[in-house]
Amino acid sequence: MPGHPLDRRRLIAGAGLAAGALALPRLAWSAAPTDRRLVVVILRGAMDGLSAAPAYGDPAFETARNGLAIPRPGQDGGALELDGFFGLNPALKGLAGRYAAGELVLVHAVASPYRDRSHFDAQNLLENGSDKPYGLADGWLNRALGGLPPASRAGRRDLGVAVAAAMPLMMRGPSPVSSWSPSLLPSPDAGLIARAQALFGATDPKLAAALSAASDAQREAQGMERGQDNFPALMTAAARFLRAPDGPCAAVAESTGWDTHAGQKGDFGALQRNLRGLDAGIDALAAGLGDDAWSRTAVLVVTEFGRTVAMNGTAGTDHGTGGAAFLVGGAVKGGRVLADWPGLRAGDLYAGRDLKPTADLRSLFKAALRDHMGVEEARLEREVFPDSSSAKPMDGLFRQT
Amino acid sequence: MSLQDAAIAANRFGLGARPGDLKAIAGDPRGWLKAQLTPEKSLPAPLAALPPTEDDVTAFRRWLAASGLAESIGAYRDALKPGAPYPGAAMGAPAPPATDPEPTAADLASPRTIKVGDPDFSVEKSFIAWFGPRYVQAVKARIDVAIDTERPFFERLVHFWGNHFTVSSAKPATQAMPPSFERDVARRHAMDSFGAMLRASSQHPAMLVYLDNYVSVGPNSLLVQHPMLMPAAFRQQLKGLNENLAREILELHTLGVRSGYTQEDVTSFAKVITGWTIKAEGHADGETGLFHFVGALHEPGPQTIMGQAYGQEGLDQGEAVLRMLAHHPATARFVATKLVRHFVADDPPPRAVNAVAAAFRDTDGDLKSVSAALVDLPEAWAPAPAKVKPPEDYLVSAVRGLGGPRLTGVQLTALFARMGQRPYYAPGPNGWSDLGDDWIGPDPVWKRLEFASAVGQGMANAGLNPLAVGEDILGPGLTPATRDAIARAESPAQGLALLMVSPEFQRR
Repeated sequence: MPGHPLDRRRLIAGAGLAAGALALPRLAWSAAPTDRRLVVVILRGAMDGLSAAPAYGDPAFETARNGLAIPRPGQDGGALELDGFFGLNPALKGLAGRYAAGELVLVHAVASPYRDRSHFDAQNLLENGSDKPYGLADGWLNRALGGLPPASRAGRRDLGVAVAAAMPLMMRGPSPVSSWSPSLLPSPDAGLIARAQALFGATDPKLAAALSAASDAQREAQGMERGQDNFPALMTAAARFLRAPDGPCAAVAESTGWDTHAGQKGDFGALQRNLRGLDAGIDALAAGLGDDAWSRTAVLVVTEFGRTVAMNGTAGTDHGTGGAAFLVGGAVKGGRVLADWPGLRAGDLYAGRDLKPTADLRSLFKAALRDHMGVEEARLEREVFPDSSSAKPMDGLFRQT
Repeated sequence: MSLQDAAIAANRFGLGARPGDLKAIAGDPRGWLKAQLTPEKSLPAPLAALPPTEDDVTAFRRWLAASGLAESIGAYRDALKPGAPYPGAAMGAPAPPATDPEPTAADLASPRTIKVGDPDFSVEKSFIAWFGPRYVQAVKARIDVAIDTERPFFERLVHFWGNHFTVSSAKPATQAMPPSFERDVARRHAMDSFGAMLRASSQHPAMLVYLDNYVSVGPNSLLVQHPMLMPAAFRQQLKGLNENLAREILELHTLGVRSGYTQEDVTSFAKVITGWTIKAEGHADGETGLFHFVGALHEPGPQTIMGQAYGQEGLDQGEAVLRMLAHHPATARFVATKLVRHFVADDPPPRAVNAVAAAFRDTDGDLKSVSAALVDLPEAWAPAPAKVKPPEDYLVSAVRGLGGPRLTGVQLTALFARMGQRPYYAPGPNGWSDLGDDWIGPDPVWKRLEFASAVGQGMANAGLNPLAVGEDILGPGLTPATRDAIARAESPAQGLALLMVSPEFQRR
């Protein structure tokens, strides 16, 4: 089929289209407090919090983790020191630098209210914002965007963007949001887009809303490097959307493959690769936003639950409960670890096998929405996280501008 | 004679009408569907040409050896031994080898090797070079069969069961295996009993590797208690229990989550299926890669699951538990709910679920009767489309409807990657979503518009009248608004593109 638009050469050309000519003009970033940006990174599959952020200062750490303990700082393959008790996995060099620069808060022994062991239920709960799987049909981030101060909403087409081929539940709901992921085919011509939009407008509101949001995202992404869909490239794309003055003020991105049931150890293991990708992704977001926008940005890095403290029979870990989360960004009052540490002796563990959660992820989410994004606390309690009165927002996590 | 019902049969239950299909089946659309509910007489040719299951399993070991990773430093071995999960199931997974030409027979016979020590060595590159051609060939076979089948309802059921019992290429050790798993489990047993399919799945090498059971051993088993009896190479690897497969059989394959089982039930069931593994290379009888029960790795003694004691010895113990699960009322309800959600509505009508669950219970899970019960649901024949086609079915239905274009395996894998649904690459053991909202966000809708635009241009000179094609394949489902939009299109290419993005073509 010569000349066909699906000709292989055209399909693969995307990979070679360099980003060279793309730079949008850097528009001035106005200083209003309404310019705050929030990014949520969902690590799907359950990150092993004790490998990402080892509590090497706990006397029971090495014994409890048996073969999986990250060595102490200074040793070969050792943790990057944070505060003499907690460290970071050696793959997280960038985050360690941000801790030193006062941009990173490590939250440990934290979990959502979910206490069973299904990934899919746990992710659903993490994203829907209620206290049970399928408790609400849309996502807390979308509902929270509906409560942004009017000044923050003004002039934006969309309030949020998902850098993902499928809209994550966290971002689904009534607030206007969009999604985008890299492409390879040539863009349809304007005439076809307009006619499809008109057809949908007459018969199918869902398709109409989706196409309208997609067209906006395509305009925004014009010239974006095509064909790249690894995590750092997705974070670069997120930065591109977020830094536009009329762009969304919240983004959600996903990283998958954290379900390390086997073969977790070693520099070339899946966990190390994932952590390196996460670290590079945060750097890519910061670089893409530039210093000024980064100074008004906070990133929440969360996972659906932790993993078992002890190594399982296949040099991995099974589904657990408490784990680690990161809050990072120029707007974060960081360089701190927040943990009411429950300990790792056998009697300290949840259900005899997991790190016991002593903090609720919703306390972290509420803090970001209230203190960083300016959503009223009453609204958070009523609509965004119903039935969460036990999870008080954490205080003092953000720099005041 | 009902063109309306014919359109529903071909589009909602099938893979999209081809020109002429609706008229041919309008006499008895329900009968046309039920006539497809028979076992396959022989494998479609593209599938018969794929490698046998044993070959898929040993391919991974051959790659380890050929790439030099098997003898390399311990860290590599740790990371890459079968069972290591792979990052980026959905997004960061290595792109299909889009820069490689379509694989030839020679590529498949002797895959390209990138070895440790080569200047551009990376685990990912080595992996893609070795397994890419195999994957591309399997995707092409799957899509060609779907495009050409005369039994599209049967084919949809095969895809449904392949997704219910997911084995994903997103995990390196199983990258080559989902096609043979689908053939051996979903296709072979689609008209068999649910219990037979569950047993075939739980004992298939692909599932045993995907959910790590092949290295799960009883803490009190003979070999763990006496490790000196084990070959040295296995001592490090075989240490204890891995509950991954046991949990997912309960949660995803049979009872469904929140159906009453506990963590203790999961652990007990994991013990019951210890020793369920695969034959290692160099096994005495020369066969490799198939199910193998090793009594010396099996946790001895009775186990209690959901209040019922299982005192059987060895393999019989696990098979007894699987029989219980296959006949449990929660399984009937869970499977019925998923089937109705897949074929009828995102929010399954309770009456319809009850009817299908009753058929399941009344026939001991006979999948032919269960599938026929779907056809008998009045809810399934409501004219308004209630489901969104996921990307794979969308593409297949477009090619069936327009009679082209016939895409290469490389084109297909690249397109599906961008549309968010690479065949055999489900993001997790729960498979692909069956909810319309997951496929109708801005990005998926945009990707479909891109595809429709490109295909419209590609088929512009095929002599098709877009309006006639729409009437032919959608029948009375073609709305006046779409009819108008097509009639006013500025070119045949645009008319075809509008037909393919119309709500009635994106939905079913």
